Order: sequence, then C-alpha cells, then structure tokens
Amino acid sequence: MAISTRIRRRTVLQGMGAGVAAGVLGTWPRQASADEKQGITDTEILIGALGPITGPTAFIGGPARDGMALAIEKINEAGPINGRKLRLVYEHAATPAESVAAAKKLTENDNVFILVLASGSTGAAAAADYVRSAKIPTYNIFGATPIIREPFARNVFHGSMPDPVVTGSGMVDEVFKAVPNIKKVGVLAGTYAFPQANLKAMTPILQKRNLEVVLEQFDAAATDYTAQLVSFARQRVQAIIVLGSFTEAGFAIKQAPDKGLTDVAWVLDGSGTNDAIVSIIGKENSTNLRGYYNAPYFPSQTDAPIQGFMKVWIAKYGQPPQGRPNLYDIVAYGCTYVMAQAIKGAGRDLNWTSLMDSWEKLKNAKPSDMGGYDVTFPETVTSTDHQGNKLIGPAQIVNGKWKVVP
Amino acid sequence: MSRTGALRVFAPSLFVFALSIAGLLLGSYWQYVLALSISAAVIGTALAMIVSYARCITIATGAMLAIGAYGAALPVVRLDVPFLVALLFATALGGLAGLILAVPGVRFRSHNLAMVTFVFQAVVIIVLRQSKGLTGGAEGLPIPAPVVFGFRFSSDADFLLLCGFLSALVILPLIVLLEGALGKNLRAVAANESAARAFGINVNRHLIAAFVWSSAVIACAGAIMAPRYRIIDPDSYGILASILALAYPIVGGMGSPWGGLVGGAVLRALPEVLRPLADYLELMFCILVVATIIFFPGGFGSFVTGTFRRKPAKLETSARSEPRRAVHDFISDMNILGRREVRPPQDRSRSTPILRISGVTKSYGALRAVSHVSFDVTAQTIHGLMGPNGAGKTTLFNIVSGLNASDEGQVLFDGTPLDDVPVESRIKLGMSRTFQHAAVFDKLSCVDNVLIGLGLNDIWQASVRSVHMAMHSQRARAERKAAMAALDAVGLAHRAREGAGSLSLGDQRRLEIARAIVSCPRIILLDEPVSGVSVEEAAGLRELLLRINRELGTGMVVIEHNISFLVSLCNRISVMSDGRIIAEGDPDVVVNDALVRRAYFGEREISA
Amino acid sequence: MLSELLMIVVGGLKMGAIYSLTAIGIVVIHKATRTVNFAHGAFVLCGAYVTYGIVEVLQFGWWAAFVLASLAGGLLAAVVELGILRPIRQADSFAVITATIFIGIGISDIYRLLQNTEILAVRSMIRGAPLFIGDAMITREQIAVVGGAMAVALIGVALFAYAKFGRGMRAMASNPRGAVLCGYSSDAMNALAWFVGGAMAGVAGSFAAPSTGVTAELSVAMVTAGFAAAVIGGFDSLRGALLGGLILGVCETLAAGYVSSAMKNAVSFLLIFIILLWRPQGLFPEAKIRHV
Repeated sequence: MAISTRIRRRTVLQGMGAGVAAGVLGTWPRQASADEKQGITDTEILIGALGPITGPTAFIGGPARDGMALAIEKINEAGPINGRKLRLVYEHAATPAESVAAAKKLTENDNVFILVLASGSTGAAAAADYVRSAKIPTYNIFGATPIIREPFARNVFHGSMPDPVVTGSGMVDEVFKAVPNIKKVGVLAGTYAFPQANLKAMTPILQKRNLEVVLEQFDAAATDYTAQLVSFARQRVQAIIVLGSFTEAGFAIKQAPDKGLTDVAWVLDGSGTNDAIVSIIGKENSTNLRGYYNAPYFPSQTDAPIQGFMKVWIAKYGQPPQGRPNLYDIVAYGCTYVMAQAIKGAGRDLNWTSLMDSWEKLKNAKPSDMGGYDVTFPETVTSTDHQGNKLIGPAQIVNGKWKVVP
Repeated sequence: MSRTGALRVFAPSLFVFALSIAGLLLGSYWQYVLALSISAAVIGTALAMIVSYARCITIATGAMLAIGAYGAALPVVRLDVPFLVALLFATALGGLAGLILAVPGVRFRSHNLAMVTFVFQAVVIIVLRQSKGLTGGAEGLPIPAPVVFGFRFSSDADFLLLCGFLSALVILPLIVLLEGALGKNLRAVAANESAARAFGINVNRHLIAAFVWSSAVIACAGAIMAPRYRIIDPDSYGILASILALAYPIVGGMGSPWGGLVGGAVLRALPEVLRPLADYLELMFCILVVATIIFFPGGFGSFVTGTFRRKPAKLETSARSEPRRAVHDFISDMNILGRREVRPPQDRSRSTPILRISGVTKSYGALRAVSHVSFDVTAQTIHGLMGPNGAGKTTLFNIVSGLNASDEGQVLFDGTPLDDVPVESRIKLGMSRTFQHAAVFDKLSCVDNVLIGLGLNDIWQASVRSVHMAMHSQRARAERKAAMAALDAVGLAHRAREGAGSLSLGDQRRLEIARAIVSCPRIILLDEPVSGVSVEEAAGLRELLLRINRELGTGMVVIEHNISFLVSLCNRISVMSDGRIIAEGDPDVVVNDALVRRAYFGEREISA
Repeated sequence: MLSELLMIVVGGLKMGAIYSLTAIGIVVIHKATRTVNFAHGAFVLCGAYVTYGIVEVLQFGWWAAFVLASLAGGLLAAVVELGILRPIRQADSFAVITATIFIGIGISDIYRLLQNTEILAVRSMIRGAPLFIGDAMITREQIAVVGGAMAVALIGVALFAYAKFGRGMRAMASNPRGAVLCGYSSDAMNALAWFVGGAMAGVAGSFAAPSTGVTAELSVAMVTAGFAAAVIGGFDSLRGALLGGLILGVCETLAAGYVSSAMKNAVSFLLIFIILLWRPQGLFPEAKIRHV
C-alpha cells in the first residue's frame, strides 16, 4: 500500500516534470533504453540509418537514403525475412554532434534494431564511439578512417569501403602501372577529413616504395589550383595522386596543361572516380587518368548487374539528375542486401547476439543471394575481422567514361 | 526592489539548472538534446552581450567554441590535466582569443567589424586543421568523458547535471554584467556613441570587454560540451555554426539576456524536434530568422514582453509631475555618494573663469567651421551662445567636450588645458553636456540613462558597479537614489522605469538635463535645450536650469535659437557667425547690437 | 622562375577579375542604398546556375548566357529588395545586414533542394592553343575571363558615374530626401540599384561557372571573396572594388604558390586584415567631405 502510493506519487511527479521539460522541448519524449530485442515485432524489423542530407556533403547522405530504401523495397517485395519485413528510419546527421544525436535518437528513442552509419568519416567516428557503449549492431558503410575501426568492437561491422591502407596501396599500384619507372610523385590532398585519413595511411606506403613525394594541399571545394600545379611542374613530378572529390580533382586536371603539366599521369581516389569529372575536364583531356572504384562497376558500364540496378533505380526514382545514381546509391544498396543476409542467417529468434553471430559467418555475401544485383563487392566477415570487403576496382577512363579494369 | 533585483540576476542560472534537473526525467536521447540546448543557451546569452547589447555582428562564434573545445580537450588528452582545470584554462584561452580579436577589431564597426570576425574565424579553423600533430587535424580528436573528483560523467543524465551546473555557474557573471552597469553602458554605446563617450564611456574598451567576456563564456560552453560529441573536428566549428549561432539572440529577442538564452535553447533543439523535416531545416531556419526580423523586430522576446507588459496609460504621457523636491535635497542625496564635494552657491565669485576658450580653430576641408574663437565663461554663471545655423556653435561644443579635436587654439578648464584630456575623462573633471538632437539612450530606462550620467563608466568601474548593482549594495542604492533625485528634480521621477525612447521630445530634453546634472558637474554645455519644445515646457525648463544654477552653482553654456529664452536665462551672451565671435556682452546689449541683428536676424524682427 | 611567377599571377588575375565583378555589385548596392549585402553570393550562384542551363542544357551560345544570367541575377536581387528588405529598411542597418546573411544562405539552400548533386560542370568559354610569353603559358580562357570580366566591370563603373540612373543612385545615396524632392522615387531607385548590382553578380556567375562549376558553396565563396575585395578597395569606391578583387586574387595564388598551399586562405585573409589595420578606409577610399 505504502509502496504503491509512493510509486504513484513518484509517477505523477515524474509525469509533471517530464511534461514541463517536454513543453520546453516542444515534444513528448518516450522513455527508452537500448536492449537486445528492440525494434523487432513479429512482422517487422526496424533499421535505423544516419547520414548528411543537407549541407555540403548531402551528396553522400541523400543517395545513401535512396539506395537503402530501394534495396529494402526489393527485399520486402521478394518476401519477408523469417516472417518479418524491413522498415527504414533515416535521420540527418553531418557533424559529430549531429551524428551522436541521430545515433542516440535512433537507438534510444526509435529503438531500432540495427544502426547503419552512412556518413563521412568524422560523423561516423563520433557515432561509432557511441555505439560501442550502446552495444547495438552497427554497420559502417562509408567511413574509412581508422578511428571507426580501432579499437575493435564486436558490434561494429564495416562494408564496402576498405581500410585506407588497402586503398592507399591500391593507388600506389596504379601509379606504377601508369609510370613503371617512376621516381617522383606529386600528392594533391584536400585539407578535410577523408583525404587526410588517406594521406596518413598512404605516406608510409610511398616511402616504402622509394618514391620521392611532393605534397601540395587544397581546401574543400577549391577551384583554383594554379599554385599547386606550378609547384608540381617545377619539381617535375611524373604522376600526381589526387586525394579529394571528383570536382576538386577535375578542376586540378583541367588546369594542369596550362601550367606546363602536359604528360603527367593522374591517379584518383574513390571519390574522384566519377563520370561527371569528364564534363569538367573535357573528353580530350581525360586520357591519362587512373583510379579505383569502391564497387565493381560504374553506373555507366554496360555489365548486366549495374544495368539491372539502374533499371530498378530509375523505376523507383525517375530519370536521374546529372551525377546520380552515384557510388553512395550503389554501396548503400549493396550493403543493405548484405545486412539483410546477416539478419536472415540469424533465424526467427532474432536478437543482437544472434545477429552478430550470423554476421560473423557471412562468406562472400552479395545482393544476388537474395535476388538483388551484384553491384558491390562480396563481403566476408569473421569473428576477428569485421571488414566485409577488402577489394577495390582499378579504374580507367575509356571513351570518356570510367570503367573498372580488373 | 532588492528581491526582484537579485531574482533578475539569478533567474537565468536557476532556469538553466532547473532545466537540467527536469531533464533527469527524460529519456537519455532527450537528455543529450537538452544538454545541447543548455549549451546553446549559454552561447546565446554570451552573444546577447555582443549582438543584442553592443549591436555588433560577430561571425567568430564557431572559432571561439573551437578554441574552448580544443583548449580543454588537448590538456586532458595530451597532458592528463584534470577536467575542471582544463575547463578553466579553456575559458581563459577564450577570453584571450576575444582580446586578440577585439583589440584590432573594435577599430571598426558594422560590416567591417563583421569582416574582422570572419577573418578570425577562418584563420582559427585553418590553424586547427593544419596543426595535425597537436589537434589531430581534420580527422578529429577523440575526447574521453569528463572526470571530476574521480567521478566519471559518462551517462547522459550525469552529464546533463554537470552541464547544467557548470552552465548555470558560467552565465552568472555574464548576467551580472549584462544587467548591471556594463550592460547598460554597452546599450548606450549602441544607441549613441558620441553621447556615451561624453559621459565617460570608453567605447572601444567596452567593446573589447564585451568580446572578452562573451568569448570566454562561449569557449567555456564549447569546452563543457566537447566530451559529449566524443570526437571534435575543426569543420564542425565552421562558418555555418557561427552564422546559426548569430540567429540565437536575433530570433530570441534583443531586449534582454533572456532572448539569447531562450533563443539558443529553442533553436538548438529545433533540428532534433523537427527531424522529419530535416531536408528543409536549413531553409526553414533562414526563413524563421528573416521573418523574425521583418515581423518581430527585436525578436520574439520583445514581442512577448510587448504583449504582456502593461502599457503606460495615455494620460501619463502628457501629464507632468512637478518637481516635488528642491534641488537642495538633490545635493544632499548626491552627498551620499561622497564622490565630489558639491560646493554650495554661497561663494559665487564671478571673476574666475571656469572655462577659457582661446583661439580655437577647426576646418573641414576648405570649410572653416570655427575660426579663432576666444571667450571666457565665468564660474557659476550661465553663458549664452547664439548665432545663425552653420555658425559653428555645435562644432565648438564638440571641441570643448572633446568629441572633436581643434586644429589650433586651446581650451582651459579651471586652469587646466584640456588638450590631452580624452573626451571620456572630461566628465570626471566636472563637465557634462546635452545634445542638439536629443541623444538619450533610447533602449534604456530613464533612470538607467541618468545612472550613466554619473560618469562612473570606465571599464573597471563599470564592472565593479555591475557587481554592486547585482548585490544591491549600499553604494548601488545610493547611486540609484541620486539618479532618482535628479529625475525628480526635472519632474520625471514618475517615469523612471519607462524606456527613454518612449518619452516626448520635451521630456527627452528634461531627461538629458537630469543626466547632465546628476554628476554635479561644474559646467554643463546645453545644445539647444528647448528646440522643438512647447512654450510651456520651455518656460519650465528655464525655471529648472535657473534653479540648478542658483542652488548647485553649476555653470552653463547654452546654445539656443530661442532668443527670448536665452535672454531671460543668461548672464552673458556670445554671438557667433561664420565661425567667429562677432559680439559678446550682457544679453540685452548683445541682442540690440546692430551687427548681431544684421548677421543673425537679417530682416526678421525679434518676436518676443 | 619569372615565367612561373607570371603564370601564378595570371592564374590569380582570372579569379581576381571574377571577385572584382562581385565586389563591384556589392559596392553599387551599398553606395546607392546604404545596405551591406551579404546575400550577394546567392545572386552569383543564380547567374552561374542560369549559365549552366543556357550553355549545357539548352546548348545556346555564351552571349545568351551572359544576357540571361545578368537578367536573372538582377531580377532576383530586385525581388529580394522589394519583397524582403524594403519593409525593414526603416529599422536599423543591423537588422538589414543580418537579414541579408540569412537570405543568402536561404537562397543557396533553395538551389541545393532544387539540384541535389555535387556539382554542375560548365564547359570553357573558349578553347584553342595557349599563348606563350617566354616560357609562361597563358590560356585563351584566362584572357577571355580577365578581359571580359574587366570590360563588364568598367562598363558598370562608367554607368554609375555617367548614366542618368547612376546619377540618381548617387543622389539617393548622398541625400535621400533631396533626391526624392528632385523627382526620384526612392523605392524605384533602390530596386534599380539592386537590379544593377544583382546583374553584375549574375555576369560574375557566368564568368565563374566554367572555372568553379555550379555548387551551393559557390554562394559563400563568392560573397566572402567579393566582400573582402570591396573592403580592400574601400567599400564605397567602384574603382577600389575593381582593383581590390584583382589584388585579392593575385595574393591568394601567390600565397598558395610561395607560402603554403594549405594556408592559401589563411594567408589571404591575414592580408585583408593587415590592409584593414593599416588603412581602415581601404586602399582606394572615395574622396569624401562629410559634414558631421
């Protein structure tokens, strides 16, 4: 009796307090804390994802949302996974602060079962640190920086984007393919997070292979590279590695011939190999370009899987604007299938532990296993290595379009 | 009075702390959001000082947050310094950054000052990004949860409490300053720099102080919140963060610290509450700010207070309360302050000149506004200065009060040359003035206007007086009593708490006089005290000035076009025309001087 | 060595000429309406976007792009003035300045919502073999952009100095009440000034599009550069703005070339700062006698 009144009074007080606070926030919050079986009903599994859908990096988060939604729609059409359909909740997050907020909201307020990090490096790193403590199974599909990968956490899995050491040595290989007896290489790196992570990983690789390195940098979205290019020309570099987006690489390559850099080979990173770069530099200048892609096919290639993907993408979203669907559409689509397969493998008795067990048994998981198109590299996960994919696709421009040339 | 004063100062801190306590009942995600909100409330309050009070646009908020975040995180991460020590260090670093920004910055105003803050913002972020060895560069710097006295604040609830407590603590001194003399002085500066300087407010030092305080507090907010982000990177503190923060006080309200506080809390929570609309959020934010500026100028705060505040009855605006007390009482009230020996008018010796103007010349390009003007003003007399428009009277006043420098000549005040005495110090010598275009500080209440007139406004005094006001000390009460006495002397005591901007022109002139006499100056320069004032009001003002002169022994120099007013007021009159003195002498003699009549009145006749 | 310097300077002049055009638009608006316009970058973005539509989508010639981009920039500016700023002009300048900051961001965000893609690339205005001065290589595009932008800038300066509407605007700036008495409508003059300033921004967008592409970030980049150029030039002087833009452009590339490419912006910003400290009135202040 006494206990019950006390509880009741406490409940009332709590209610009043919460009402006041919620009034300030303008919303009514749900009490919540994360648990093993949250986000699962008999018929549905809630998938949470976060990424930037406004701001300068909106080209990552927007496509990620579209790619995931497309895959989930197709998976659900093919039939429920062990009786349950997937449902996506996608939240905007760009900065670390926003990423932590979104991850918390999805985990603690919406009670999603799995969290997908579809944001750039720093955002994903901040969220990753949170999910380590929250223990929710988390799928990092875009983040490359080591901060997300270390220390190892059992609940964090990585998808298509390999460790920067892998991409770094891949790019150095390309440099040697372009200029076999190369002695001096220029590196043109953006000052923001993703290029800097790549630069850090690549520097020891370049040293190990006895290359003399000329480093020049640029700020995000720079459009004028006069000074950097003149410096490369003065020091007679034989090839230039660009760590930055395709727009940045594009303007640098476009301006290079004017600065006396006529017969230099260019090697671009995964965000630089985009067909839209050709419209920046012009078809006639796009000859001596190499790079890698984080998927086996570019959207413009004629191979069956990517053509099939394009068809379903256009059927859902209509005729695409310039530059879409992009890498992030493709990777988000493919990774969603891999995740679905992990869920499927966990069986009807789904919880975090069973999911992680199942995920760690994935071998060469690919979209076609569940009826999708194989537009991403297959993923293999073990209990000690959560990096699903370690491949990159060496790429070259053929007839004004990028092509993966294995 | 005392209780409301204390409440004013403590309420924001209590509110912030209460918010964090109430947040304990929420889910952990909302606790995180609430912590973000509280931190934004602190930022908004700090910005209120620069944006709402000093009316400067700053785009360096992001840089200050970054300085605080890195300033606290680096000692913790690299040197194992305790969190609270690092927090203090970061706050001091923020203050130092504010100083570095403001010392060159306050040479500018408006868009140029905005540009300087922008440069600062850009450079700080670039430096943080480039110092990779120290800051981790663009990839970011992971930060552990704060540990205070061995307790680790890792859960959202714990952190919310810590954040609420520290935030409440850090805004307290800010509110003391904002609600006290410093805040009033800043608003005076924003309203009218010349008038502010004439009453001893060193504008640049005040602006520097505003930047230092607000930067320190912003840095502190950045330092408190950073561990909660788990990783900080320079780009999170970019230009966009600065611009969004600028919206806090603008949307929240420019009228009080509450505007920035509530504006920050609400606007920071908005993106979380409106997550379904995330795609359109930035656009909606911009529309909200522009709409606020158009439809609720002064922000929602002013809109709210404007709606709920009891409007003064219409009758009151026209009715006048006659001075209830003799100016003698005013003197005795002033003596409470004990700051100046008020000389009673017994030893009126008409021979010693209090003000000696000799050979003063001032040119603007080819125009010679004042040309070799010399005359003396005898102590405790009223000296009139008349002349047609453009004769150089106001320019002369500006030279005497120190707002303009003369090209040649000298002004002696009580035997001391004023050349090296900056305008801000002249009030302390015993000189005050009124302005041709009534220059009351319109956003301040009448009594606050008069408090500024005390002239105790150098930056240190203003800070100390702010504390006195907050504590409602003996001294603060005495100052207020003196100000009320001065208001009473001009018949405005009943409107002490109303905004000076809402007064009629005549009342604004009265207020200016109250502000000019409250420091018991030895001389007052009155620039057209009855222009635009009704005949009855002019008569009242004349009585008032005569009484002040008689009872306080205050000397006056009066510029006025109203000849009959001047003749009936002054002991002596000088006449200026084309920058020169063309006549001087007893009022009746001067106005009948043929030269004066030609130069001044032309074909017009004296009307009265 | 010398040829390298020449190439760096010419590269800087190209961006500088675009900054100049932007800065002149800012100064025209400020001179005529006493409004500091931080939304100017959005007008440049508008011009660049229209240029993309004309040149890349409709495949019309560059002349059409210049005309329509300036028209679009001008109309957008006039709409902003008449629709948003006119009601708040009575309030203090603080309100207007802050409003323009948020209007600028808002317009860029509308663009982002319309066109959610990383960049829209626009082809070069002119192609062909580069010219050589000694070892230094100068492209035809560099010459076209510097020459074209300078020509437009000079036309703008001349219009403001000699044409009838220029006189009206100057009259409005120096004495609004007097100008109204002389038969100028203040609303119309303000809108016209914004139209002219916006049109200059639109053309700047056309010139910028091939070398920067069209992105939402273009807005902030151009307003900061244009603003800095205007400040260097004295903010009220069209000629100063023109030179300020060129100085800024050249200093940026020199800083990147000879100091550090990563510190490019920091160095150029510090330069502005030093100029401001050294000559608060700018390098080329308008001779002015003000009676206080």
